[in-house]
Amino acid sequence: MVSKESCRSELRTAIHQLNDRCLHSASRWAAEQLVGIEQDPAKFTPSHTRFQRGSSSIRRRFGPSDLPSTPVGGALYVATPVHEEDDSADNDFYLLAKAYFDCKEYRRAAHVLRDQTGKNAFFLRCYALYLAGEKRKEEESIELEGPLGKCDAVNRELTSLENELSKQWKNETIDPFGLYLYGIVLKERGREDLARTVLVESVNSYPWNWSAWSELQSLCSTIDILNGLGLKNHWMKDFFLGCAYQELRMHNESLSKYEYLQGIFRFSNHIQAQIAKAQYSLREFEEVEVIFEELLRNDPYRVEDMDMYSNVLYAKEVFPALSYLAHRVFMTDKYRPESCCIIGNYYSLKGQHEKSVMYFRRALKLNKNYLSAWTLMGHEYVEMKNTPAAVDAYRRAVDINSCDYRAWYGLGQAYEMMCMPYYALYYFRKSVYLQPNDSRLWIAMAQCYETEQLHMLEDAIKCYKRAANCNDREAIALPRLAKLHSELGRLEEAAYYYKKDLERMEAEEREGPNILEALMFLATYCRSQKKFEEAEVYCTRLLDYKGPEKEIAKSLLRGMRTSQSGLTSTEAEHFPP
Amino acid sequence: MAGNVKSMGAFALTPHKVALCALMQMYVPSAENAVPTPFPSVSEHNCLGLFLLSLAKSCDNVLEPNLDKLVTQLKEIGGLVNQWISQDLTCRLSSLSTPDDLFNLFSGLQSVLGGNGARFGLDDSILLDPNSQLGIFVRRCILAFNQLSFEGVCHLLTNIGTYCKESPASCSTYQSLQDDDFDNDSEELKAFDHLLFGKIIADSKVLSGLNHDKERYFDVSSSNDGLGTDDYSGSLFLRTNWQVQGYLREQADLIEKHGSSYPFNAFESILNRLKKLAPELHRVHYLRYLNTLYHDDYLASSENLLRYFDYSAGAEGIDIALSSFPGMSFGRYEIALLCLGMMHCHFGHPKQALEVLSEAVQVSQQHNDDTCLSYTLATICNLLSEIGILNASGMIGSSSMVAATFGSSLSIQQQLLVLLTRSLKRAESLKLTRLVAANHLAMAKFDLTHVKRPLLSFGPKSSLNLKTCPSNVLKELRLSSYLLSEFGSDGAPLTIDGAFSTTWLKNLKKPMASSIFLHENELGSRNNTFQYDAQPSPIHGSVLHLAGSSYLLRATAWELYGSAPLARMNALVNVTCFADASSSADVELGYVKLIQSLAIFKGYTEAFNALKVAEDKFISVSKSRIQILKLQLLHDHALHQGNLKLAQRVCDELGVLASSVTGVDMELKADACLRHARTLLSANQYGQAAAAARSLFFMCHKFNLQVVNATTLLLFAEIHKRSGSAVLGLPYALASLSFCQSFNLDLLEATATLTLAELWLSLGSDHAKRALTLVNRALPIIFGHGGLELCSRAYMTVAKCYLSDPSFSVYDDPEIVLDPLRQASEELEVLEFHELAAEAFYLKAMVFNKLGRLEERDEVAASFKKHIILLEEDRIYFSVTC
Repeated sequence: MVSKESCRSELRTAIHQLNDRCLHSASRWAAEQLVGIEQDPAKFTPSHTRFQRGSSSIRRRFGPSDLPSTPVGGALYVATPVHEEDDSADNDFYLLAKAYFDCKEYRRAAHVLRDQTGKNAFFLRCYALYLAGEKRKEEESIELEGPLGKCDAVNRELTSLENELSKQWKNETIDPFGLYLYGIVLKERGREDLARTVLVESVNSYPWNWSAWSELQSLCSTIDILNGLGLKNHWMKDFFLGCAYQELRMHNESLSKYEYLQGIFRFSNHIQAQIAKAQYSLREFEEVEVIFEELLRNDPYRVEDMDMYSNVLYAKEVFPALSYLAHRVFMTDKYRPESCCIIGNYYSLKGQHEKSVMYFRRALKLNKNYLSAWTLMGHEYVEMKNTPAAVDAYRRAVDINSCDYRAWYGLGQAYEMMCMPYYALYYFRKSVYLQPNDSRLWIAMAQCYETEQLHMLEDAIKCYKRAANCNDREAIALPRLAKLHSELGRLEEAAYYYKKDLERMEAEEREGPNILEALMFLATYCRSQKKFEEAEVYCTRLLDYKGPEKEIAKSLLRGMRTSQSGLTSTEAEHFPP
Repeated sequence: MAGNVKSMGAFALTPHKVALCALMQMYVPSAENAVPTPFPSVSEHNCLGLFLLSLAKSCDNVLEPNLDKLVTQLKEIGGLVNQWISQDLTCRLSSLSTPDDLFNLFSGLQSVLGGNGARFGLDDSILLDPNSQLGIFVRRCILAFNQLSFEGVCHLLTNIGTYCKESPASCSTYQSLQDDDFDNDSEELKAFDHLLFGKIIADSKVLSGLNHDKERYFDVSSSNDGLGTDDYSGSLFLRTNWQVQGYLREQADLIEKHGSSYPFNAFESILNRLKKLAPELHRVHYLRYLNTLYHDDYLASSENLLRYFDYSAGAEGIDIALSSFPGMSFGRYEIALLCLGMMHCHFGHPKQALEVLSEAVQVSQQHNDDTCLSYTLATICNLLSEIGILNASGMIGSSSMVAATFGSSLSIQQQLLVLLTRSLKRAESLKLTRLVAANHLAMAKFDLTHVKRPLLSFGPKSSLNLKTCPSNVLKELRLSSYLLSEFGSDGAPLTIDGAFSTTWLKNLKKPMASSIFLHENELGSRNNTFQYDAQPSPIHGSVLHLAGSSYLLRATAWELYGSAPLARMNALVNVTCFADASSSADVELGYVKLIQSLAIFKGYTEAFNALKVAEDKFISVSKSRIQILKLQLLHDHALHQGNLKLAQRVCDELGVLASSVTGVDMELKADACLRHARTLLSANQYGQAAAAARSLFFMCHKFNLQVVNATTLLLFAEIHKRSGSAVLGLPYALASLSFCQSFNLDLLEATATLTLAELWLSLGSDHAKRALTLVNRALPIIFGHGGLELCSRAYMTVAKCYLSDPSFSVYDDPEIVLDPLRQASEELEVLEFHELAAEAFYLKAMVFNKLGRLEERDEVAASFKKHIILLEEDRIYFSVTC
């Protein structure tokens, strides 16, 4: 285990360094984690803090050679020297440029630094140019075309930046931050392999830049790539792995990583949100809700990840909480895609699908690669019975990220609605492949097989079996399995599933027509199998209900008793004592 | 579609259009002379006018030329004046440096347009009629400019800046920056350019009726690009949406024709580029599907097919209609099902195909899409006839729809017939001419091999009217080709009709629907002079294809009927006249037929030579028929030579080919069985040969393969003849004979007659007369249509008849015997048929011996010895290994 102290001191230094380079979101992240570290009350003494502060200043003064940032488990963790500082940070021009940069005047900042030679200045100039290009690109894509259509706006600075950075890279005069920027540029130029190499180099020499990690994560589309990265051990790697596992849908692995990290960063909102995300993917809604409630208590103006919370509230149909959340994020920042998405969810729950589509569109206008908005908009179109539009929306989601099982599922559903079950199967298969532990997907697929058109009952049975094995909350699979088996004349299997269903319903204390059906079947089945005692039990249970079943049960009981007495009498004749 | 705010045809102001507007201003100057100042003559002025007109007409482009290109064209069309004009144009454009300049340009443009006639008559100044092509163009530009936001104006300004800068000088620096990334692409891009420009050259030839200036203009554009200016960024000349779509359609045709030999990667990169340039052009996904389909990439092709239909909803450009009426239209997803079904057919998943197609039937019924319905029915017919009957029997029942429609009691053939007639009727009532033609073809194909009525009691009866008669088949074929010619003369309305017809036209075999959606679009652009004309001949390629395959069917009909020359002729017609239009599979079949006839008439040496040529030609075709043909030829050859071991091995290989993964090919299976029995017969294993023939007979009976049955009966007769029990052979020969008569298998009938004669002959010399009469009856057909083997057999029989006739004396007229024997031995030597050749030489030697012509006798005897030794070698070898 890494010591909290070392983490803390590393993070503190990192925040300063990141801030110096205007890597604001990375420094924000680092600061969040810093605060997230649990304060040890025993050590929390003024002398201690003084020592800590002193030591960090000593470290800075003495340079990288004697930097003992190695955590306790030094054998496991590679010692990563705190990054060397550059004097150019104190240069007057640099200060001016940084001020401009902080005011989002990127070109001005770059201009001020045009003749500066220091590493920091070089990085800041490139970074400012990159951001200026990005900003222009965003504006252009809005100006040129409706943001929902495709647009070929590019960051015009990329080419020159790439040339400059690659020159530095080849001369090995580039620092980790430059590498990070080079990685981004390469990624946008579509040279992903090289981008990966460069980013790995960057995080290996300076692990505290979360932005670099998350860029790297977006380039790891398979587990093989992830395993072949060649990363040095550092506690930041655990954060990275947790995030990467989550994207690769290895939710349990990611969960365990985060739980381990929570030992150090006990109060980290980031970790909490990530755990919520994993739990959400595992469909543990109750827990997700609890986590988010706590998150909102600690950090009431948080908008990040709140769309997931709204999804949970939507699924649980909690109107007041969802509307409260929508109102809150609206007041905080209405022009965030997440805010629009939450409002869209709210309207959808209210059944006002046109309005909901409008808000999803707005979310997409703000971020046209916002995956869940496309999918949710597809759901809305399905509700509005506009299947072609729904198909289009889902397809866009799938083309943005082909691992979005919800969109594949939506496509399947849309085609099933159009009476094309066989065609829909392809899409269901895709979604099931991506999310094999989701009973709803299996059930949808089974229902497809079951349709009158296809009538492929054997395949339907296979699907229902899978659904029953993966925690079928709505309890659809078991009764269907029983019914299908009884339709196919396999009474033994049917009885097995009816019994199982019955047990389940008893355990969950649910009532419904299913109980009657199961009891009826089991009663007749047991009678035909000559298990009269069992049959009697079922019949007597049936007597508790009203309706025709009661009468049937009565007559069954009567018949059994007479035949039983007859049987015993004949038995008696055959086998005299 | 839901997300598309902008419609596809929106008129966007581009630097190129601004340049055109500037040119318009020069074309219509404010001076009041009859001929505007810079122009020396009216004709030069008109020249520019025409040029502008042609550019204005093609303003709905995907890509536009850069200024450089425009200037070069300008210089080419006119003399010095245009030089001046182009300089002026460059000047004007590069002087546009502030948004205000643009405002001034467009407000000045207003004065170019004439008012409502008031100013027309008064002065002589030339003004554009606001309702003319040019006038409309200018008005659209002005409107578009007025609607622009300030951001839009800024964008236009930057774009004009780059547009002007892209002159050769600055271009090279631009290039150097881009070089390293685009190295890989540039080759293909050049190919892309070349393809497109090659097309324009072709166009210019087609459009030769247009006036001189325009043609020259075309030549200019094409020759320029032919040189391959290196900068790709702006070099592509004006190509309208229709042009690109036409290009894509042509590529689709090419892919289908060449199949797997089509360059995959090159085209893929072109498609990638197209997708980037024109994201709304969903057809790119379709082309990608075709490309992957023919390169047998199942996953990618299904992925692309589904993506195409997800985006396009079965109709290109449905977006606009849909977003304005949400929930009202459905999209034509049944076409998606049809295409998916055909894809499964292609990959040999008959079961999935049937499921998908029955779903297509249902959906199209639900949405009253009769056209799609009839196409789907025809596809199902095709599927049924494609996959082996063995496979289908278990399969049809599983699909509830098909079973429900036909009742499961019907046999596959009956189901097929019912479907065929139904689809034919439907196509006729919908006036889908091409489909009708295709259906007629399918019907003719069915007639060729199937008896239309189930045989209740086995055996030939005169009441059975079989349609194997070529005349009947040809009637169907003529009907279809009649329809085809009708189509050729009157294509336009039918193209809409046959919305996704192409599918079809590939002998109902190849999954494709490329021309489907294009036609509709293209109609809109009929009056466009720049129309991309992908079909230089008036008849559509697919129609030609259909006509080509009708010739192949004719060939088959004649083959069965027994007329080799006619069959060969038809195959020749197919190969020579329709080779361009047909799919490679069809051409291959034509070659196969020709080689077969070569083997029969010219012997194996020539056939194998021809085969080698064909093999090289069709090396890339998967599921090759050439492979099968090669095995068949090898088998025949081995059998004749007496190399039985080889024959047996080849025969086994054929049997394996017959039952592929896709399904059992009944025809091939029957052929393999027949060959197996023949091999055994040659090895004198009579019992085993008879057993093999019997199982074959049962199989044919079970699956109604009537034509093979006749052959099998004949084989029985042959077995009995060789085993020495001629009496037992007679009924078989007779049965086969009457079979042939009722099935119109004339050549086979002649063969049966010959066998009958041989049987009679082997019963003893008393029957020689009768045998001779029989042979004589068959001779005309045998000599007219029979191959080498049959002819020589007939010659031998004739000679033997004479020789065994007690009343015949060799001394009276030796030539009457010697002549046929000579003929027979010559032909048999060509054929390398050792056994019969030996016999012929033996008979000849005996005759010479009788006649006392000893020298000739010895010579002939030596030949006899040679053949016998060759034969014995192989046979001993075989019996040892057996």
